[in-house]
Parts: sequence; structure tokens; C-alpha cells
Amino acid sequence: MSLPIISISIQFEHDVVESRQRARQVAEALGFEGPQQTRLATAVSEITRNAFTYAGGGRAEFFLDGSSVPQLLLIRVTDHGKGISNLAEILEGRYRSDTGMGLGITGARRLMDKFTITTAPGEGTEVVLGKLLPRRAPLITPAMLSKLVTRIEKQKPRTLLHEFREQNRELMRTLDELRKRQDELLSLNRELEDTNRGVVALYAELDERADRLRSADDLKSRFLWNMSHEFRTPLNSILALSHLLIDRADGDLTAEQETQVAFIRKSAESLYQLVNDLLDFAKVEAGKTVVRPIEFKVNDLFGALRGMLRPLLAGSTVSLNFEEADQIPDVYSDEGKISQILRNFISNALKFTQTGEVRVSASHDANRSLVEFHVKDTGIGIAPEHIEKIFEEFGQIDNPIQRTLKGTGLGLTLSRKLAAVLGGSVSVASQVGTGSVFSVSLPQFYAAAKRTSATETLTPEASRQRSVLVVEDHFETRLLYTKMLQDSPWQILSAKSIREAENILRNVTPSAILLDTFLTGEDTFQFLAQLKSDDSTHKIAVLVVTAVDDRSKAMALGADAYAVKPITRQFLLDTLRRLADPPLKATVLLVDDEDVSRYLWKQLLNNPDIRLLEATDGANGLERARMEKPDLVIMDLSMPRMNGFEAIDSMKKDPVLRDIPVLVSTSKILTEEDFRCLAGHVLGIMPKASLSESGIESRLRSMLQPASLEYLVASPETATKGGNR
Amino acid sequence: MDRIPILKLGDFLLVTVQVDMHDRLAMNLQEDLTDKIVSAHARGVLIDISALDMVDSFIGRMLGNIASMSRILDAETVVVGMRPAVAITLVELGLSLPGVRTALNVERGMEMLRATISVYAAEYSEYHGDPF
Repeated sequence: MSLPIISISIQFEHDVVESRQRARQVAEALGFEGPQQTRLATAVSEITRNAFTYAGGGRAEFFLDGSSVPQLLLIRVTDHGKGISNLAEILEGRYRSDTGMGLGITGARRLMDKFTITTAPGEGTEVVLGKLLPRRAPLITPAMLSKLVTRIEKQKPRTLLHEFREQNRELMRTLDELRKRQDELLSLNRELEDTNRGVVALYAELDERADRLRSADDLKSRFLWNMSHEFRTPLNSILALSHLLIDRADGDLTAEQETQVAFIRKSAESLYQLVNDLLDFAKVEAGKTVVRPIEFKVNDLFGALRGMLRPLLAGSTVSLNFEEADQIPDVYSDEGKISQILRNFISNALKFTQTGEVRVSASHDANRSLVEFHVKDTGIGIAPEHIEKIFEEFGQIDNPIQRTLKGTGLGLTLSRKLAAVLGGSVSVASQVGTGSVFSVSLPQFYAAAKRTSATETLTPEASRQRSVLVVEDHFETRLLYTKMLQDSPWQILSAKSIREAENILRNVTPSAILLDTFLTGEDTFQFLAQLKSDDSTHKIAVLVVTAVDDRSKAMALGADAYAVKPITRQFLLDTLRRLADPPLKATVLLVDDEDVSRYLWKQLLNNPDIRLLEATDGANGLERARMEKPDLVIMDLSMPRMNGFEAIDSMKKDPVLRDIPVLVSTSKILTEEDFRCLAGHVLGIMPKASLSESGIESRLRSMLQPASLEYLVASPETATKGGNR
Repeated sequence: MDRIPILKLGDFLLVTVQVDMHDRLAMNLQEDLTDKIVSAHARGVLIDISALDMVDSFIGRMLGNIASMSRILDAETVVVGMRPAVAITLVELGLSLPGVRTALNVERGMEMLRATISVYAAEYSEYHGDPF
């Protein structure tokens, strides 16, 4: 009967060590003495090493054999290797091993009490080692043995090395995990890098898109700019030609024709307005707006606006009132742009007000040196949710009145942009059904202000109309004069009394004064005498119009003309023209490649006293100028072969031509640079667009005034008559 | 991977085997020791096997190899601290460890090495003669 104690599988080198240690433990547990333990362990070590080395592994089993003293410890080592071919040689001790001392099997046999070895080639080897338990050892029963076995199994054959290996393995596992984690991190990193690259690429794409958007926006502005520009030239022609037709410059029209031409003109005008708005808009967008600040009085601005907007009130029940702005100090800013903003506000207000009034006022904030203009109406008002929308480009609110009214939808947007250009802002307060207040708040002194006299004198100032001061206490008569001079180059300044007239004269020098000699309780002849004796006013033509015939007295006191009431419109206009423009003979050279422009100029200068010469480009113009020595050269800027700039330059270098005054007529939008080039060399710049505007004559005259050539231009009515005569 | 530490003690190297060596470990020790003898210019090697409770034929052969190799490298080897049971077993195994000198403990082993080396040195100078 043999009882199993322990069994060890021999697979690795270290199992050899475990086998011999187990052998020692078993031997100790079974009561073997120290040297016997060593013998057993050594023998087991030899045999298991053989199994591991030669057969690649096997099994070592420990048994206790025998049921009486002395019992036998059996160790069976089996393997499934090739077997031992030269067993006999080994057992006889003749074999020399190259790994051990060739003593493994023989040594083990010598150390043990029992030794059997069976081997067959190809089937493996079985070695059984046996050692008798010490004689004094007690009999070990199966129960005792099982206890021993449990004890042995608990005693792990722990060596330092084992521990070390275990820790090593642990470390390897940790390292492995770390490596895995590192791999994970690496792949995560790669992923992140990919993402990053993606983000970078996305950014690049966004940048590209932004660039494209910017260039598209730029293109839009440039397109607007160029398109508006291109539109203006043919529109100018339509306007001017229809103007000529309506003025019957070339024969009479039937009533039907007149209506049709009037419609043509009206349509062209609204298209022109739209184009101009677009152009202004594009100009602001492109940053090409040039601010030309001047010092001006708010009252003057209001006066000009009143005159300009009067036509809008025709047939309306709404009244337009300007509050006195005497207490507002002078403003230094771009009057033209402020006027444009207010015109937008006022025309809007008039559009959306059906009854009541539109009130224009100004206020001044001395602390912040701000000037505010308010346009208050009693119109339909704007719902809060629409307030932002009305400032958008082409933003219009849908409502019944809106539908009946036409507009470009650009006015308020443009106003806001213009205000921003001047360093101010636009605001609106409104209540549906009650009305709105549009305000523009501007710095009293334009910050980036830099006065350049050149641009100032060259500014084609729209409000530079000729003015006539009407001194008349009778309201109806004043109204009559106003009506008579409507749509004429004359702008009316009215005074109810001599005191008021004196007030106005202190600020403004009108071209003419229309004086009623029969003012209640005032000595108008005294005033006339005073006017004619004062150095600052004696040049002003005075037309005395009175109900009482006292011609000789008036003429004696220096009146330039005299009439008895009632007077006709034609008389008034003719007289005013005559008084302001004494005729003379003159030669004018017109240098322009466009037939339409030359035609328009010819119509404008339709005066028998003028000899008109024409040239179609700069070089040709210079040649003619040398030959004819004209009194005035009207020069286009964009021309083939030699353009206007070059021609003007050549003229100014030529001693003969140097002193001939030049007037520039162009449809080019001039840059600051252009203005600098022309400054000091030309009398003025007349945009071709304005050739068809009413009031062009007086503007032209004021431009020609420094060269004393203003007489060249007749007022439209007399010119037309002259043509028909 | 596994290594048994080798300490340098002046001219000598000291190896204390504290674990039951498996065969590869024993082979590694043999290699390391020969390398170290050369790199440290050691004149003697002490191998302390007092912690071993068993020396089988493989380890015995390894000890013998170390002794012969170090002798070729001009270093003497002394195995110290062999337990009596181990000695008995070795003899019974038929292993006499030829060429391996032994000493009872490290102290004796050192003395033995010093004595041997000084004898060699004397022989050396006698043979080559004193330059003066």
C-alpha cells in the first residue's frame, strides 16, 4: 500500500529546484535526519534535472510505502522523452556527461536505499527512488500523513529567488499594463493629433471662407460703386433731355406729350435718387466718404432745408416746422452730410404722417459738446419690434401706408452710416399711432477735422443757391413771391420788417433784395438809402416793388429796378437775372468726348453772347485753346488720348494758356487725391449729374464769379425765351 | 534576468550564494564572475555557500569550473562555508571537486587567498629578479 504525498510537475528549470526543496520538506516531515535530508534532496535534484534536461519535463511523485516500520519513502520521476539509450554504460560509470559530472544516475543510486530505472527508446523513462524511514520513526498512519501533507503544502517552497520571481512577474504584469496604457495613450495621442489636424484644417477652411466672404463683400461694394457710377451717365442724359423737352427748348409740346415727358422725367428722377443713394451707400461701405467739415449755423442749415423740402409739402395737409435754433452755437462738421441725414428723416416723416405736423428742432449739450437734431412727426409710428429693422438695408415695414409709398429702403441705413462717419449716432423713439422722433446726435466739433482750404473752395456745394431777400409785411404777397420763385435758382429769405431784414443781412449777403416800400409804420426809403450807402451791402441789387408809384424817388435812392404791383413771375425772374448778370461777349471752349455732355453744355450756355468752341479730347482742346484764347475752358476729365488732368497740367505750364480759367465738368467721382491735383488750378468742379438739375445755372454762376464770368449763364426761363425768339 | 550579486572587496571578489540556485542561475554566475575578474583585476574569488543546504553534481561541476577558469585568469578561488551534510553528500555522490580550494568561513578564506597571492608575488619577483 502506498500513500501519495505530493506530486510536482516538472516543466521549467525552476521546478527542479522546487522538487528538491519539496523532497527536503517531505524528508523532514517524515523524520529524516539532516544528512539524510540532503541526500534525498540531492538525489531528487539529479533525477529531476535529467528529466528536465533530457526529456523536456516530466513529473515527480512522492509516496509513503509500507504499513509497518520501517516504512519506505518512494519518489517516482517519470518522463516521456526519448528514453536512455546507453543506460548500461551510465550505470557502469563509464559515461562522461558534458553538463553535469556524469554522476547523476549513479550518484543518486548510491545515495538511495532503493533505485530502479526502466527506460524504453521513444517511450520515456521511469526512475523510482526509495529511502527507508529512520528506524526510530513512528509508524505513520494515513490520517497522520494527510495532516503532514497539509502542513507540507502550506509550507510553500518559498525561496528568496521565488519571491523575487513573483515580484518580477508582478512587475512584468505592471510593466505590461503600463505598456498597454502607454499604447492606449499613444493611440489616443495619435487620435488627438488627427483631430487637431482636422481642427487646423477646419480653421484654414474657415479662414478661407472668411476671406471669400470678405472679397465677396468687397466685390459687392465695388459692384455697387461701379454700377451706380455707370448708371449715372445715361440717367443724366435722360434727365437733361427730358428737362429740355419740358422747357420747350425745341418747340412746343402737346399737353399729352408734356404729361408723358413729365412721367419720363419723374421716373428718371426716382431712379436717379435710388442710384445716388446706392452710390452714397457704397461710398460709406468702401470707406471712401470724405468728410468736409465747415463751420456753420444751425439756423442756416434749417433755412436751406426749408427751401429744399418745400416741394415735398405740395398738396399735403401736414405742416413742416423748424424751431428757432438761435441759442445753438456754431457747429463745425460736414453740413452737407447732416443736411442729407435730416432730409432723410424729414422726407420719411412726411411720408408716414397724414395729418398734423413734422417738427424739426436742435438742442445742444454743452457738457459733452454734442449737437442733437430731432425730427418729430405725428405719423403712424413704429412698433418696437420693427425699430431695428428699419435701419437695415432695404428693410421696410409692411403696412398699408408703406405699400402706397415708394422708397429705396436705403435712407435710414445711409443716415446711420453717415452719422457714424461724422462720429455720431442715430436713434429713434416711437409709439405706434402717436408718432416718432428720429434723432441724430453729433459732436459739435468734428474730431478728425482738418481744414483744407482747397477742398473747401472746390466743394460743389448744393446749397449755394442764389438768394433773394424779400422784405414784405403782407403774408399773402410773401407767399406769392415764394410760389413765383419755386423751381427757380432763387431761394427766398423773407423778412416781415426792416428789423428782420437787417438781422438777416448781418449773416447772409443775398444776391438781390425785393423791397416793398409800403411797410406798415416803417421808412423803407430810409432803409434803401442805408443799403446803398453801406459798403457791405451797396452791391446788392435792389428791386423795389410797391403799390404806390414813386419811381423817381426809388431810383434816386439807388434802386436797381422798380415795379408797381402786381408783378408777373416772368418779370420777376427776368429782372432778377438782369440785375445779377450784366451781359458781355465771351468765347468758351468745351473739351469733352461725349456728345451728350457737349449738347447739354450748349443748351446750358444757350446765350447769343457766347461763342462756343468744341474739342473732343485734351490734345485737341489744347490746340484750339492756343489758337482761340477762350475766356473759359470747360474740361472733361476722362477722355481718350489726353485726359483732363494732363490737359489742365499742360495749360498751367503754358505761359499763354496759364491764365485762362478752367471749369471741370465730370461724371467721375473724385478722390481726395484728385481734389489735391486740381486745387488752385481750376475755378470749380461741376459734376455732370448736376447739369440737369434745376438751379444749375445759379450754381454755375457762383462758380464762375471769381473770374467775373457769371454773366455767361442765363437763368433758365430767359434762356428758353432767348432760344425761342 | 536573475543574477547573484558579486561584491568587490579590495583585490578580491566575494560571492554569497543565498538562494537555492537553479541551473541557469548557476551558469550566469559562472559567466558574470569571469567577466568581473577581468574588469576588476581581481586576484581572488571567495564563494560563500553557507546558505546552501544541498550541492548536487551540476552545482559541484559549476564550482569546479569557476575555480579552473579563474585560475587561468590569474585569480584563486576559495569556496567557503560548506555545510557538513553537503560535504558528506558530495563525497557520497563521488564528487571530490578537484582544484577547488575550500575554507571553513569567509575570514579563513581571505587569509588563505592573501597568503597564496603573496607567495605568488614572491615567486614572481624571485623569478624576474629585483631591478636593484
